[in-house]
Amino acid sequence: MQLEPTIGNLRSKLIAASCALLGGAPVARAETHDVVDTINRALTDWQLDAALAYYHENGRIQAVEPVINAEHDLADGGQLDFDFTFDALSGSSPNGALTSRQVQTFASPSAKSFAQARHMYTVSSGNLPVDPNYSDARVAGGASWTLPLSRLTRARLGGKFSYEDDFYSATVSVGLERDLNDKNTTVSFSVNSENDFLQPIGGAPTPLSDYTQFEKGGHETKHGVGVLAGVTQVMSRNWITLANVSVDRFSGYLNDPYKIVSVIDAVGSPFGYVYENRPDSRTRRSVYWENRVGWSQGSVTADARYMTDSWGIHSETAQVHLRWWLPGRDQYLEPSARWYRQNAADFFRPWLADTAAVPSDVSSDFRLAAFDALTYGLKYGCKLTDHLGRFGRELSEFNIRLEYYEQSLRGNPAGPPASSGLDLYPKLQAFLLQIGFSY
Amino acid sequence: MLELRELPGDVLGVRFSAMASPCELLLGRVESDLALQLGSLAAAEAQRIEQKFSRYRADSVLGWIHRRRGSALQVDEETALLLDFAQQCFELSDGLFDITSGPLRRVWQFDGSDRVPAPQAVAQLLPCIGFQKLSWKSPWLCVPPDMEIDFGGIGKEYAVDRAYDLLLARCPVPFLINFGGDLRVSRPLPHGPWKVAIERPDSARKAAMMLEVEYGALATSGDSHRFLFKDGIRYGHILDPRTGWPVPDAPRSVTVAASSCTEAGLLSTLAVLKGKGAADFLQQQQVRSWVLR
Repeated sequence: MQLEPTIGNLRSKLIAASCALLGGAPVARAETHDVVDTINRALTDWQLDAALAYYHENGRIQAVEPVINAEHDLADGGQLDFDFTFDALSGSSPNGALTSRQVQTFASPSAKSFAQARHMYTVSSGNLPVDPNYSDARVAGGASWTLPLSRLTRARLGGKFSYEDDFYSATVSVGLERDLNDKNTTVSFSVNSENDFLQPIGGAPTPLSDYTQFEKGGHETKHGVGVLAGVTQVMSRNWITLANVSVDRFSGYLNDPYKIVSVIDAVGSPFGYVYENRPDSRTRRSVYWENRVGWSQGSVTADARYMTDSWGIHSETAQVHLRWWLPGRDQYLEPSARWYRQNAADFFRPWLADTAAVPSDVSSDFRLAAFDALTYGLKYGCKLTDHLGRFGRELSEFNIRLEYYEQSLRGNPAGPPASSGLDLYPKLQAFLLQIGFSY
Repeated sequence: MLELRELPGDVLGVRFSAMASPCELLLGRVESDLALQLGSLAAAEAQRIEQKFSRYRADSVLGWIHRRRGSALQVDEETALLLDFAQQCFELSDGLFDITSGPLRRVWQFDGSDRVPAPQAVAQLLPCIGFQKLSWKSPWLCVPPDMEIDFGGIGKEYAVDRAYDLLLARCPVPFLINFGGDLRVSRPLPHGPWKVAIERPDSARKAAMMLEVEYGALATSGDSHRFLFKDGIRYGHILDPRTGWPVPDAPRSVTVAASSCTEAGLLSTLAVLKGKGAADFLQQQQVRSWVLR
């Protein structure tokens, strides 16, 4: 029995392999290479992602949102990133008032008085008060530039803007990243600053003022600064973990100018409404941990976040995505699930009693309530016909994503007198359908 | 920059620099215009291959592949052939020849010093080494995010063979193409075989070894100037990708004669990787070879 390869066996295979290499198809010669170079230069290392999303809430808002993202690799190892989003929202938005047995009538935000209001809307008994004429369009964009400072250090400069009829926002950020430990560890640090300008339709209401007095006017601003420190660690060939901590602080006008709070009398009837008021600063601290594990058939991303803020809210999020490649590796299915829980802000009150003094800070916005939310999603992606890249062909990807979201108030806050049988805190259900293409 | 020189025995030489090595095309009696033309053809081919497969250049195929790690790429035909070849060599050598061993360079710097890396540092890199961990099915390649590929181990020899093919159809006289010591000849000169001096690695040009070549290629592998020296142990720059450590008892240099430069280069590289067993391995492969210890 011969354990070593037979004499010259390796060599004869090597000769065959060399012949395949050298006798192979004609190789692009210097002349043709230049031509290919020129053609490809225009396409060099641009990666484009485009998606169109449709979002629908039960009986409320719907939104159509095209998103475009472009990434460009620079020859010096740097990268440029651009993204652009357009949102068109329409439908009904809760105005903050509580569901009642009585018919409730409201003026749309542009009104200066009931008498002169162009639009009024009436909410029938037992229904959540929503403004049915809600519509908004938002244009947002961002750019970032990652530039290598040395072999191991990169700087990132970014800017973002967002524009709506009644809201303008601009953010700038500066960050540094450094690779350590043979590039198995990356640490990063960034600071950002956001400046917002609000020009509510009909003017910014005087906080806590009586809704029927139409005390409105002018514009408002808010300002935020934040810092984020993170570390990414390659644990093994198949496992990457990353963690970050962030702190940000917003100050200025933090109210929702369109939200009111019902004031209820002793027999459970709406006595009136006041505009909400929130503290004029908010500090948030959060920690985030993410793990990505991959193998030949798929990958799992699992992350968790804990956030706490100076408004008394703390929230926990856990999310998992499983990407599973179908045989052939040109199609995948990606089921995902997300769980979110938060407790209520200190000043959250679904309604106020007319007998008690109005607190200095109050809001009935359900987003500040204690609630649980679950999101289930399924994404399907498939590799499409290839396209010419810098040196060869790359795959494009088509994907479609469907998500279902369900949010329900927790702890069932007490209702006013004589409200039993009313669905005061209806469940919010929404779905999202997104079709994407990356090139 | 091409430099033409006349050599004894009616031989013309065209010298140029490519792949960080001195290169030369030697030709039998021709017009100097034609010699320069053929020389520039060979130089252009060497530069084309160097640019395309350099791991240092952002605009090379490897730069592109490394930026797109994690996604599936369809590589061009030439890159595909090289990857196929590298895969066969990996399999034939049971993992000794591996184009994914590059990450080891992060801990091994062969500068003649005594800085031998810590065993843990080497062990940490092993998970990102191994051709079998690439996803490669011609022409689709996916390089995992923490891996690298590098054609450095076959690039120069491959360039010699490519330039040889180009010249064979255009050169009316016998020629020898030499890229940094790896060479290939078309046929003997009218008055006899080509005489080739192979540098002895330990004493540079003092005691060159003279070989005579009529047909075929010669390639040399070795660790002449690149080593670490600690506690009386010399750590040569030939690393075993399976352990991450230099091969013990590796010969200082191995020269192999074969029909193509690619084949000769692979055999000499594998022989060095066999360490103590280099001579036995070469004898088994029935190739003419010269082992210097």
